Amino acid sequence: MSTAGGIIRALNSGIKHLAIRRFTLRYPEQKLKFVGDGFQFNPETGVGIAGLRGRHILYHEHCTGCQLCSVACEGIAEAIGMVKVNETWKQNKKAIMPQIDYGKCVFCGLCVDACPFYALYMTNDYELSSFTKSALIYTPAQLAIKPKISQDVEIKIDDRGATHG
Amino acid sequence: MTTQLPPGIQLEKIDDRIMTLNVGPQHPGSGHMRLIIKVDGDYIVSCDPDPGYVHRGEEKMAEYRNYIQNVPHLERPVIHDSSNILYPYCLAVEELLGIEVPERAKYVRVIAAELNRCIYTLYWLAIYGIFLGHSTMFMWPAGDRELFIDLLEAMSGARVTHAYLVPGGVRNDLPANFEERCLRQVDYFEKRLKEYQAVFYKNPILISRTEGTGILSRTDAIRLGTTGSVLRASGVNFDIRKKEPYDVYENLDFETVVMKEGDSYARSYVPYLEMFESCRIIRDAIRKMPKSGSVRTKLKPNPKGGNEEVYKRVESGRGALGYYVVSNNRPEPYRVKISVGSFRNLICMPYLLKGELLGNMPAVYWSLNYWPVEADR
Repeated sequence: MSTAGGIIRALNSGIKHLAIRRFTLRYPEQKLKFVGDGFQFNPETGVGIAGLRGRHILYHEHCTGCQLCSVACEGIAEAIGMVKVNETWKQNKKAIMPQIDYGKCVFCGLCVDACPFYALYMTNDYELSSFTKSALIYTPAQLAIKPKISQDVEIKIDDRGATHG
Repeated sequence: MTTQLPPGIQLEKIDDRIMTLNVGPQHPGSGHMRLIIKVDGDYIVSCDPDPGYVHRGEEKMAEYRNYIQNVPHLERPVIHDSSNILYPYCLAVEELLGIEVPERAKYVRVIAAELNRCIYTLYWLAIYGIFLGHSTMFMWPAGDRELFIDLLEAMSGARVTHAYLVPGGVRNDLPANFEERCLRQVDYFEKRLKEYQAVFYKNPILISRTEGTGILSRTDAIRLGTTGSVLRASGVNFDIRKKEPYDVYENLDFETVVMKEGDSYARSYVPYLEMFESCRIIRDAIRKMPKSGSVRTKLKPNPKGGNEEVYKRVESGRGALGYYVVSNNRPEPYRVKISVGSFRNLICMPYLLKGELLGNMPAVYWSLNYWPVEADR
């Protein structure tokens, strides 16, 4: 193979890409669609349910204040602390619930694996940035809110290449 | 006036023929490590690699956490190959704790490991391209890598640090319609991979820079104890997936890629050809995988190992990766020793760079498939 021929072939291969659609995801306007409603865990079978590991969601009516999520996080990120809440639940005599510091959380989801009461799951919400460190600490009341999500873009593959949307 | 110089620093006289260069640790072409290179004009006289800038004490950290809590931090040394670096740990802990892994989980783990190997190789190829001044080869692998990242995100829930493999199987089952989606994207990726040939591997400019530079002979490769693609590019047919098959690799249909040349070109071409084999493995694993069944064995809350020690190794993107785990009747391991491919391959750097042009340093350095963070642990 001659040198000039090789260079022309390389350029030709690059020029062909002018006809191929771009692959870039235009992020704030487009958001990728994920599988399911976030990572969940079934304590009976001991197997998780596939989904994105984003911000947590805490179901106050299930949480017993057993601290197993906090214990699971010890040695990993130490992001979960137990705090007092002004609520009275029959199953939660101590009235303590997890509070999560997203400045520390590594989103491994092992706290969800540790919860035996279907109380702590993860959601598809990954936009957690804030201007202050203290705003990253989510109280049990903030964790109970279901996130509003509009993610609908998927990878499409056709003759003109792969694209988002 | 004579002043006391700090250790390791010497002054050079103006008529000295040999000059000492410090490449790194902040140099973008060296990663988080320093190369002390002595040059005579444009030729390298000697090279002394100085790793250790990103040592994090992973092995010591593992002694204070139980077998499950070790999972997230042990994948940190190579976050873009996180399934493969956890694989031998899971195999070793399963043998220590006497855990039986379900058949479906073994196939899911193989699929995750092969997808992750492609992610790693594409990332490495992007870096190799940009340091040879080929910015198209930075953009294409970085874009195609997204296909696999999206697949692993659907599988595990995280883009890069998956924490997907655990002792006892995998964290969660595959999502619905994953098989079709995976096959479609792998087919498309193979088509894309063939386009890299004309623009990069058959490009005369790349060939002139890499062919014949940094030749590692077959005997030297064995004598220096290199592993992975560096060893296979020197003509040694050694792949842990074939020689010591773990999980279900013995049932799967694939070939080991071997090249005889042993130069930078061969070392960069072998990982590329291995991506085709990875696609073959993924396709074969999806066909042979049991369609239903459990993927994780339920463990006791704080599992304790006996008075045992286990060594397990797998083939990672950078060669043989082994974990030596010792337990002593406690929930935490007594000792975890990680033996990584990057550190094994670093040793041949002084041999390869001697007599080479300084401009060829990145071509040789990055062809070694070296990842500083993994080597330092």
